[in-house]
Amino acid sequence: MWSARRHIRRIEVSGRNMAMAAPTIERAEESDESFEARKVAQLDGTNLIRVGARPGLFRYIREIWSFRHFLYYDSHSRVSSANSYDSLGRVWMILNPILFGTAYFFVFGVLLQTGRGIDNFIGYLIIGVFTFRFFTAAVSGGANAIAGNQRVVQAFNFPRACLVISSTLRELFSSIPMFFVMALLVLTIGDTPLEGAEAPPISVTWHWLLFFPCIALALMVMLGWSLALARAVNAHNDVKHLISFSTRILFYTSAVFFSPDRWANIGADWLVTVMHLNPLFCVLDIIRQAWLYDSFADPARWIVLGSWAVGSILIGFLIFWHGEENYGKER
Amino acid sequence: MSTSTPYVPRRVRHSDADLIAQDLAIEFDDSGFSEDTSWDEHPLTQQTPVIQTVDPKNVCLVVDDASMTYRVRSSSDYKNSESKISRGIKKVTGSGWAEVPALSNLSFIVNRGESVGVIGTNGSGKSTLMKLLTGKVRPTSGEVYATSTPVMLGVNAALVKEISGKENIRLGCLAMGLSPEQADAKYEQIVEISGLSNSLDMPLKTYSSGMASRLQFAIATSVDPDILLIDEALNTGDAQFRARTKKRLDEVRARAGCVFLVSHSLGTIKQMCTRVIWIEQGEMLADGDPQWVCQQYEEYTAHKSNDRMRSAKVVYERTRLQLNPVQVDFTNDSRPSKA
Repeated sequence: MWSARRHIRRIEVSGRNMAMAAPTIERAEESDESFEARKVAQLDGTNLIRVGARPGLFRYIREIWSFRHFLYYDSHSRVSSANSYDSLGRVWMILNPILFGTAYFFVFGVLLQTGRGIDNFIGYLIIGVFTFRFFTAAVSGGANAIAGNQRVVQAFNFPRACLVISSTLRELFSSIPMFFVMALLVLTIGDTPLEGAEAPPISVTWHWLLFFPCIALALMVMLGWSLALARAVNAHNDVKHLISFSTRILFYTSAVFFSPDRWANIGADWLVTVMHLNPLFCVLDIIRQAWLYDSFADPARWIVLGSWAVGSILIGFLIFWHGEENYGKER
Repeated sequence: MSTSTPYVPRRVRHSDADLIAQDLAIEFDDSGFSEDTSWDEHPLTQQTPVIQTVDPKNVCLVVDDASMTYRVRSSSDYKNSESKISRGIKKVTGSGWAEVPALSNLSFIVNRGESVGVIGTNGSGKSTLMKLLTGKVRPTSGEVYATSTPVMLGVNAALVKEISGKENIRLGCLAMGLSPEQADAKYEQIVEISGLSNSLDMPLKTYSSGMASRLQFAIATSVDPDILLIDEALNTGDAQFRARTKKRLDEVRARAGCVFLVSHSLGTIKQMCTRVIWIEQGEMLADGDPQWVCQQYEEYTAHKSNDRMRSAKVVYERTRLQLNPVQVDFTNDSRPSKA
């Protein structure tokens, strides 16, 4: 008896749904007819893994190490293709900072005269512009490493940090010719005498070797920032807008085209402190002291840069590792 | 769980309603209730669950109550917003979130040696299921467990466009965790399967979509994964390539512990699979014998394509009533949590 009633109701329900021939007609009925499991499968899951789970920190580092060949090859093979859409190709890697340097020289050096009182201002500006460009290109490239490589992320399983590391390495590889040009320019026109400043002659000394540990520390800072930003950009694309804004701020607080003494003279000591704590300013100062003035930079620069390097790589790596499960998500 | 034996009715039909139901080809499972329980909202489920122990040695993959809801940005989402203010804000900023349910409460266990076909109409959630299985996306609720990370063989994922085919092969091999020596050893085989030896020095962006997918397939099949997921798109390609892939696919399949095959070609499914899962509107509709499930599916799609919604509905209902949903239960806190 009962079942007859019930079936009639069911058929009515079905009939009602039939009226709306939407593609989800079946789904509409699911809610009031949910099936509960009639069978329970018991099993011992000790030799199973949770698919896609984030490995422990040390295992993660080991996995990155085992993918080191991928990492190296990925960064290396893409250097050659970086400017493949331009007809001048890789020449842009050198041309770009030269053009920017010339523009800054005219605006800041000639028109605004921010270089007054800086010895070897042309060399000063060249080192500033080239290194700044290297730094920001690496950070913004690294920040985009996950979001911009979704195809590779979707296709293969590997620790995602590899992509960010390889992006930073790629920037280093592609900057090598740029650094050669930078050294060449500093040597040839860096000590051109300008009005109101001295021009001590520039020559290659063993101080120039300080460039290498300095760039290594800078790489660690860049990698740390890239790792943290890569996660942020992947989660919220909006962060990209903030990156280009922060790049500007960094540009003006790194003393790329002026000397921090300028602010000390007018009594804005807090601004000088901000600059001294800025890792990029430390990088620029160390290279400038070594290349232009043949001397050591203030040891405080090394301490600040070193702490930034260790701090950012630790924190950035932890932030990135913590989000490892979210990088395959489509946006 | 798998019900590879054909469905056997569990009771004798007697009431008038059953005869009506039979006419409508709907089979109801009423065995568990009497007049006393008729007030219940879910009389069909009034059964004591059958507890079955699964041998952990045989298990390859476990999907435990996995649901997936995509949350995507939508600039027209403001239309659905109820409050006037939030409607206005969303309209001005052009940003709102739309929730797209893709899969709901899927549970099944796959044993070693099984070949599972996955069928369903477009948009039913097949691709989402594959993404969950490979661990690219974590389910919104529920989890997927496996003995090793499943590997997807698909042609949808393109490689790096700017670099040459040769470099892509090496990059792909290294990305799958091969050492440089192993990658060198696999190189010849990949070139042979892809059949692209003439254009390997060109950057990938010069390739046609067919060529790119051939290369992707060749790279993807260069490893022998334990749990293998094969995407339907492999059916594309010219006859020559298809013959070549079939051979390689059979080799990989033979070596894999268990295989998932997503396809719209029921012929392939019937031929290759020992079990078929039919997903419709994000829910599992059938799980069992390939012949039977494919037959129901064919009937369903035939009704749908001829716009016979009522008949399609009947097929849908009668198929779903035979589904025997499984609930996964891990003994003594052995639920895996680590990678």
